[in-house]
Amino acid sequence: MKRVLFLFAILMFLLSCKQQSNVTTVHLWHQMEPPKRPVLNALIKEFEAQNPDIKVVTLAKGTEEVRTGFQAAAAFTGGGPELVYGPMDQIGPFEAMKQKNSDNSIIMPLENIFPKEYFEKFNSMAVVRYKGHIYQIGDRLGNHLSMAYNMKLFKEAGLPGPPQTVSQLIEYGKKMTIDKDGDGKPDQYGLVWNYTEPFWYIPFYGGYGGKVFDANNHPIINNPAAIKTYQLILDLKNKYKIMPSECDYDIADNMFNQGRAAMIINGDWSWQKYIDSPDVQFGLAKIPMIDETHKWSAPFVSSTGYSINASVKGKKLEATKRVLEFLLSEEAQRRFTKEHKSIPSLISLQNDPAIKNDPILKISAEQIAVGDPMPIIPEMRAVWDAMRPSLQSVIAGTMTPQKAAEAQQKLAEQKISSMFDTGSENAKSGGIIIRILYILGILAILWITYILIFRFILVLMKNPNSKQTREARFAVWLAVPATIVMFGVVIYPFIYNIIISFSNMSMTTVNSWQVIGFEQYVKVFGEKIFYTIFSKTVIWTVVNVFFHVVIGVFLALLLNRALPGKSIFRVLLILPWAVPQYITALTWRGMFNSDTGQINQILTALHLHTVNWLSEPTSAFIACIITNIWLGFPFMMIIALGGLQSIPDELYEAAEMDGASRWKQFWNVTVPLLKPVMIPAITLGIVWTFNNLNVMWLVTNGGEPADHSHILVSYVYRAAFNLYEYGYAAAFSVIIFIILAVFSISFMNRTQATENVR
Amino acid sequence: MRSKTTKTGYFFIYLFLTIFVIISIYPILTVLTVSLRPGDNLLDKSLRIIPLHATFDNYVKLFTEKPFLLWVRNSLYITLIVTILGVVMASIAGYAFSRFKFPGKKAGLMSLLITQMFPATMLLLPLFIMLSKLHLINSFLGLIIMYSATALPFSIWLMKGYYDTIPPSLEESAIVDGAGMFGAFYKIILPLAAPALVITALFSFMSAWSEYIVAAQTIWYEDMFTIPLGLKSLQGNMTTEWGMYAAASLIIAIPVIILFLSLSKWLVSGLTLGSVKG
Repeated sequence: MKRVLFLFAILMFLLSCKQQSNVTTVHLWHQMEPPKRPVLNALIKEFEAQNPDIKVVTLAKGTEEVRTGFQAAAAFTGGGPELVYGPMDQIGPFEAMKQKNSDNSIIMPLENIFPKEYFEKFNSMAVVRYKGHIYQIGDRLGNHLSMAYNMKLFKEAGLPGPPQTVSQLIEYGKKMTIDKDGDGKPDQYGLVWNYTEPFWYIPFYGGYGGKVFDANNHPIINNPAAIKTYQLILDLKNKYKIMPSECDYDIADNMFNQGRAAMIINGDWSWQKYIDSPDVQFGLAKIPMIDETHKWSAPFVSSTGYSINASVKGKKLEATKRVLEFLLSEEAQRRFTKEHKSIPSLISLQNDPAIKNDPILKISAEQIAVGDPMPIIPEMRAVWDAMRPSLQSVIAGTMTPQKAAEAQQKLAEQKISSMFDTGSENAKSGGIIIRILYILGILAILWITYILIFRFILVLMKNPNSKQTREARFAVWLAVPATIVMFGVVIYPFIYNIIISFSNMSMTTVNSWQVIGFEQYVKVFGEKIFYTIFSKTVIWTVVNVFFHVVIGVFLALLLNRALPGKSIFRVLLILPWAVPQYITALTWRGMFNSDTGQINQILTALHLHTVNWLSEPTSAFIACIITNIWLGFPFMMIIALGGLQSIPDELYEAAEMDGASRWKQFWNVTVPLLKPVMIPAITLGIVWTFNNLNVMWLVTNGGEPADHSHILVSYVYRAAFNLYEYGYAAAFSVIIFIILAVFSISFMNRTQATENVR
Repeated sequence: MRSKTTKTGYFFIYLFLTIFVIISIYPILTVLTVSLRPGDNLLDKSLRIIPLHATFDNYVKLFTEKPFLLWVRNSLYITLIVTILGVVMASIAGYAFSRFKFPGKKAGLMSLLITQMFPATMLLLPLFIMLSKLHLINSFLGLIIMYSATALPFSIWLMKGYYDTIPPSLEESAIVDGAGMFGAFYKIILPLAAPALVITALFSFMSAWSEYIVAAQTIWYEDMFTIPLGLKSLQGNMTTEWGMYAAASLIIAIPVIILFLSLSKWLVSGLTLGSVKG
């Protein structure tokens, strides 16, 4: 019977292999917005019907996740999807990463597999050339900002049409900024946009004649245009008051979509939503002209398109090419144009009547014509990161436009140099350090083997002579499964990170890094910011854990008695823990918003001062702490509830007979008996809070204002994934690790938590 | 129960509980509002809990337009296995660490703790390399191993802490009665540790139920999505289907609440130590 089953299994296996060999699977990772995905999926279905030998598996992710995910898969494991779709500025970072054991980038030069004539069919902006190769073909142009306006509100204000110049923008904006209920605060604003993001800063900067890079790819962002742009944003907000005092993407988007703002500067991805909105009569216009220069504001324009993974070969490559050609075809582009107002990249479609006659596409094309192409060099990432703090500081009023322009130039230069810093001049002096590291590594491995194998596992082999040996053997058997799982999972990542922390691994050296010694550590300790963020992290941890434990234990004590209806209270109180953090953290962010948030509305109702929670560093920090306390107390409550069950009632009865007060009972009975359960929870609570990336990141939108809202881990995260400073981030992480390890071991030893009861 | 509570005592207890309940559910009611609001708006000036033109469309769309039930099935499959594995491994390992002396015990306990200290985001890349070398990409097995390892250190420590509060004389007498070491543990100690087992189960469940980062890097097929992946797929770079997102967030809290309700019997009552000690 067994043999029959075995044969059957082999047969099935062979059959499944055969089936697979007929159909080639092509993976496509893309970053299309949710409304566009049905169009893509419908196209893919059609393609699969025409090509039964090819199966296309699509995976939608965020732009950043497509980029980092593709890089991790392609550069570090030699795998990854065959096709990757995204904005053209991801080509820079892709080109910079090389495959394992080769000098080839992780994306394929397309001129090798397509004839020259093929590229001529596309608008030249959509054929993305970089360092002499073609790496991407776009299926659409755009991703550009324009100005959308609500015709309904324009008519109400008696205005004929969209503003053409900035002075008109201000004039119209004033007319449409209206305080309807007379509480001294406008209920409708003239203009909204995501003014905390540098991408939205670029159009006016370009209108003033500013450029981001010179011919040698050196940033040039400290100039009169930069200063004037900052001044303009400040004036729009403070002098003319046509914009709300706090405005990020979601606020701007919601206000316009609900008819509470007359104009919005936003990208082509957002228009369909506004067209569908019942409160908006959609109109589109170019972002106004700067009066002084007579130049139209110039947003960045990019194409979005497909690249091929460099590791694709043979039959797979043929299939991938066919998918690519299909998705770039007239038919496919027309569909996207029709349903999502995108500008097609094929020259043959540019004069298509469907496009010529569409009023929105017409203006979109005009806006593209005055825009600047988005730089695709990886340095642009550093520039974005350098501009963001300046922009947010100017808006918060903590930096003058002049200072901000100077600061962004300096920061951009610094970030670019650290991005490409491979520390190679120190590689030689690393020789001795490398040897020391190797010896230390070998010693560590020997030590671990000694503990694990010779002391731990060998117990199992011993003859159980005494009771002690028997017990030890029994205990090891019990501990073995968990130990194997833990070490199996953790050992490799640990060693990997420790080695990387001594290396110069960065974007350009993912597969050619060298050990350079302690340089990254020196860099971490040499920066003032490390100490600032470290002290902030300590405050963050102590305050959070303190409140988690106090509130949790307090509630557990209240609930640990005969109380009608307590099970309902119990369930309601764990809700903050049960609902996914992501949405509740964002909800708190909304509640802290200075204009529309509930917290300020409550403060107003109580006749207290309102606070611009998220635009000032200290209050933003407090907002994060409040959010995290809310998220964390239920878990401590559950643990304390469980812990309280181990305390026998007799102890309280005895204490009461001795005349001990409630307070005394709490300190003398409850606390010591709760300790064994709470100490591990508190220790790990400290560790988790110290390393809690999500809450800070979500509430402050990645460190706003001006990169002030960071704890050590969020800072590491930014270094590792935004600017690819792997070595630096690993060193930083090792330092965090050591801090926490030293702390916990001493804390545990003091509380004697490792001792057993015997 | 112990000591009588006066009427004013009750008043204050209910007052405090009510205040905390309001604080804990208000933000969640806001999520509810978003889920009922038409038009994908995350923010609104209005303080209404039930928004104007409230609609269940988002909930309907979630089940009709998205493979929501498939995500739930995948997540439940992974999570239940992780929970069972977590409870079994943690309860036995915690017992070993609590009761016995053996070589490597202190080092083992400490290294369990230490594994939690490295910033998780930095472990992701080597974990991914490791999983792909072991051909565990696009595999639930890979996720199950990862999630078990995430939950174990806390669970073991918690179990150990709880066993520490149970007097060893209990199983000693059982062993004298001939129950054997495992029998004494299984029959006498384990039932007494029910509250800690509940916490371990809840914790393992949650850490697998809500994990996103590892899953996002290793799952490439939409029909293998877990709930957090599915949830994230409602979100674009700029345009997010907030209504559905909020609706899904509330629905996926329901299994957690059900689990809590069904386990809380053992968390707060059942066999208490007092009844056995004496």
